[in-house]
Amino acid sequence: MVKFRFPLLIALAVFVAGLALTAAFKDRHYMLLSLVLLAAALVPLFVRLERRPLESRELVLLAVLSAVAAVSRVPFAALPSVKPVSAIVILSAYVFGAEAGFIIGAVAALVSNIYFGQGPWTPWQMFSWGMIGLTAGWLRHTRWMRSRAGMLIFGFVWGFLFGWIMNVWYIISLPEAFSWQLAAAAYVSSFYFDLAHALSNVFFLAILAGGWTKVLERFRKKYGLLQQE
Amino acid sequence: MNGGFRSVHPSVALLYYAGLLLFAMLLFHPLYLLTELTAVAILLLLQGQGRPLLRGLPFYLLMAGSVAVLNPLFSHRGSHILFYFLDQPITLEAILYGLMMMVVLLTLFIVFISYNYTVTTDKFMYLFAAAAPKSALLTLMAIRFVPLFQRRLHQITLIQRIRGIDVGTGNLRKRMRDGMTLLKVLLTWSLEEALQTADSMKARGFGLRKRSAYAIYKLDRRDVALLAILAVCGLIVLGGWLQGYGKIEIYPRMKPVQFGGGEATCFIGFCLFALTPLWLEGREKWLWRSSQRNVYLSATPIKTGPHLMSSRSR
Repeated sequence: MVKFRFPLLIALAVFVAGLALTAAFKDRHYMLLSLVLLAAALVPLFVRLERRPLESRELVLLAVLSAVAAVSRVPFAALPSVKPVSAIVILSAYVFGAEAGFIIGAVAALVSNIYFGQGPWTPWQMFSWGMIGLTAGWLRHTRWMRSRAGMLIFGFVWGFLFGWIMNVWYIISLPEAFSWQLAAAAYVSSFYFDLAHALSNVFFLAILAGGWTKVLERFRKKYGLLQQE
Repeated sequence: MNGGFRSVHPSVALLYYAGLLLFAMLLFHPLYLLTELTAVAILLLLQGQGRPLLRGLPFYLLMAGSVAVLNPLFSHRGSHILFYFLDQPITLEAILYGLMMMVVLLTLFIVFISYNYTVTTDKFMYLFAAAAPKSALLTLMAIRFVPLFQRRLHQITLIQRIRGIDVGTGNLRKRMRDGMTLLKVLLTWSLEEALQTADSMKARGFGLRKRSAYAIYKLDRRDVALLAILAVCGLIVLGGWLQGYGKIEIYPRMKPVQFGGGEATCFIGFCLFALTPLWLEGREKWLWRSSQRNVYLSATPIKTGPHLMSSRSR
């Protein structure tokens, strides 16, 4: 059984993907397909994490940063869309790179939803926050991200993008009604939430940026963490 | 209490919930969806989880209800035009489709509430720790850190308050600065300590060899039987779905719903799948009640009714 675990998992994944494709093309029912595609987007980066030689220190560091991001959601639970998670993920990715940023964002979404309730939105949040980390890591050496204003704009833009990605899982449940008007209606109705998220990102980045990057940089230098990138 | 459906092997529970989610997303038939919705709702009530269900319900109804409203407003396919709203035809088919999608979403939400209660994180991790050891370890550590950090943040707040660093007093600027100080202390303290933990892990040989996984759950005979039942029923339903059962056609025109032999087989398989945990849970309740009444007669006092009292006094 243990020997066949990976072939079994792969067979299962192919089977579910086949079902999803059948449902999408025969019945125009896209929910399952969307989840399969999300999983396909998330798996490669987690596989990379499994494959690469990782020091225990680096593993623990990633866990601490994900947990801090998850905890930071708790005091603001009452305010919808105000989540310091994005800001913390951006700063961590800024210091530790794209892959670390992705893992921190995805794990923070998974872990915080253990306390806030898992739902069909969990993989979408994992994807969105993971992508925030990934893009922040990619852009970290550019002049854009190095400047304070550039980072704030980056956070502002991602506040909206996050909401737009989260809208997709909602729109996807209405394939027959899909039209640009429906998309527009969904985006207009979520505008204030997205704006709140974007502004809170700017706010948190503004107050956290200097201090946190200094602390994280110091840890990175002192313990030689995640430096090969 | 860890009885009934919560006591089964994690693989059984995971198969059950994976099947329910899959069916909720594949089967497009009100009968199946409502059966699933009711089965999971009753399971939650039997497990004493009515409260989280009620707490989440307004949000879920709002979310799912908006789908039912939006679909007829934006989809104008269908042959039965009911009326015109802002010059746009509102069709019966679009309303029905919206309602079906509402039920699909509600089912998904409620299945997740039940999942959260039954498949706790340690069970999920137990299943996947061997396949993806690093991600599992990372996630488990993060989960463990969350309550620890909350406690730490509380301690830091208490101590820093003596120094006058308090988020509760002062003007907005000072509060923001103080909040940042608190979070920075938390970050430094936690990182410093976590890296010590990492060194200790390394000293004990972490990463030298392939990680072993601690198995706390044992697959006993009941679990194997349950796995077999669920797998067979699930395959029947999937087979039926591939044959075209378990879905109704709404667009472009409602087809009359036929209920033949094949559909019945598929539905019975589905009912067996969805209702298995209810049977486990109900049996447990029934056994507990009867054991209270019969076996431990001396331990549990029999409730005395009024006529018993009067007969004793006579």
